[in-house]
Amino acid sequence: MNASNGPMPRPPVQAPPLVTPLQTAPASGTVHPTMISVRGLDFHYGSAQALKDISIDLPARQVTGMIGPSGCGKSTLLRVLNRMYDLYPGQRATGEVLLDGENIIGPHVDSNQLRSRIGMVFQKPTPFPMSIADNIAFGVRLHERLSRADMADRIEDALRRVALWNEVKDRLKSGATALSGGQQQRLCIARTIATRPEVILLDEPTSALDPISTARVEELLDELKRDFTIAIVTHNLQQAARCADRVAFFFMGELVEVDSADRIFTAPKQKRTQDYITGRFG
Amino acid sequence: MSATTLSLPARTRSTTLLRRRRLIDHLATVLCGLATLIVLAVLVSILWTLLADGLPGLRWRTLTHVTAPPGAGGGLLNPIIGSLIQVVLATAIGTPVGMLAGIYLAEYGAGSAFAGAVRFVSDMLLSAPSILVGLFVYLILVEPVGHFSGYAGVAALVVLVIPIVVRTTEDMLRLVPISMREAAAALGCPHWKVVLLICVRAARAGLLTGVLLALARISGETAPLLFTSLGNLNWSVSLNQPMASLPVTIYQYAGSAYGDWVQLAWTAALLITAGVLLINIVARVGLARQDSR
Repeated sequence: MNASNGPMPRPPVQAPPLVTPLQTAPASGTVHPTMISVRGLDFHYGSAQALKDISIDLPARQVTGMIGPSGCGKSTLLRVLNRMYDLYPGQRATGEVLLDGENIIGPHVDSNQLRSRIGMVFQKPTPFPMSIADNIAFGVRLHERLSRADMADRIEDALRRVALWNEVKDRLKSGATALSGGQQQRLCIARTIATRPEVILLDEPTSALDPISTARVEELLDELKRDFTIAIVTHNLQQAARCADRVAFFFMGELVEVDSADRIFTAPKQKRTQDYITGRFG
Repeated sequence: MSATTLSLPARTRSTTLLRRRRLIDHLATVLCGLATLIVLAVLVSILWTLLADGLPGLRWRTLTHVTAPPGAGGGLLNPIIGSLIQVVLATAIGTPVGMLAGIYLAEYGAGSAFAGAVRFVSDMLLSAPSILVGLFVYLILVEPVGHFSGYAGVAALVVLVIPIVVRTTEDMLRLVPISMREAAAALGCPHWKVVLLICVRAARAGLLTGVLLALARISGETAPLLFTSLGNLNWSVSLNQPMASLPVTIYQYAGSAYGDWVQLAWTAALLITAGVLLINIVARVGLARQDSR
């Protein structure tokens, strides 16, 4: 009911507190505890079903790559994880997406608070019409009150992490739209990590970038996974093989197979996966 | 048919095709140039006439003396101040109302029947003859009170400002890409902040254009003022009294038989044009300076 309320800001609801301590000792005892656990997720755009009974775990501090032909539902899954679909009436998700044991697609979750924990970077770089520094400060100010000095530190830290600091440190006050496409995308990543999320979702973050900028963003992912859980949707199979620890193959709204990147690309269990990665369809 | 085309040597076909394309290209360019020239010619001719006929009457005295009977050496002080008061007040009142309504249409009401109705009514107002607006305000603000007033003039101008600002605000906000809204929302930004801090900011040059358009439009409006603020030949800045304005003064003076009044009418026209131009330049330069910061 509440999930399809449209774009109006959601009123504060009496909900169980979202920020609970991160579970660090999972029951399974694996090295990487599960950060997000999706169980039996269905998703509809109006009457069209885009995701069918998806169940997948995103391990903490790992990169999960999502591959599959266009329209297979991989971007849709990403947009469920931070409730982007809330912006559009007529889109609805049912099932469970568990973050710290709480179903984040449930009716009592504040989607803005959720998005401060699960950040997202989009296909096209989207710098805001303000200065480079303000682009980063904008997201931080939504959730925290920092002193001027602390904010400056936060901005520098975020820009250093995306290897943009040396390129822009002398023009932090100038407009962000003057940056190159690759720089803009790294700024968008910096903007996302500056709000200190736990999970970062990347929706084809390099498909609008040149090869050199793409390589830089890929290197960045390796750095970022020390601190963040990452999910990346990509059409580029080499990119998935290079960056992802685990890879999920989607086809026509179904999750066909999810496994370590090595196994998906060398010994997939499903014939459809095999066909896709060898370029026989899709 | 296709057989004959195919039987032509490939090169002949491509050169004749290319020649035709080039010809059409030249033709289109020439036509565009001609159309531009026609528009420019009209514009330059208007400006030239304004300058030629208006400048001779532009003296210090014109700006510092109130209107007077023919031959008594009057100026335009009361219409200038009257116009300034009414135009500034109407813009100041109409702009926030129009912008909020435009924001509602673009960001909140999208697709709803109510928004559709508001948009329809606003567009009707936009194309309504301004004399109707004057008569409307006459009926509700002049007749019941029993006298013409500056208030009524301002009210009529506000009614003209609102639909212009509504339309440009909605159009300009719709130009802000969805990806930018999503990017802001993905940072955990509530919708009202996305609208206010991102969309309005991204569209501000367009929003300013809307306000300037409205301001330019009402600066020259005569018809809605004839039934509302009427005009005043004496010095008065009371909004509760009939109030002079440049367009109404032009209307009264330009058709008169007195040479000095006709001269003042030209000068008043020049003053309106120069004033609108000046405001436009100042606003644009201000915005550009803010952007480059």
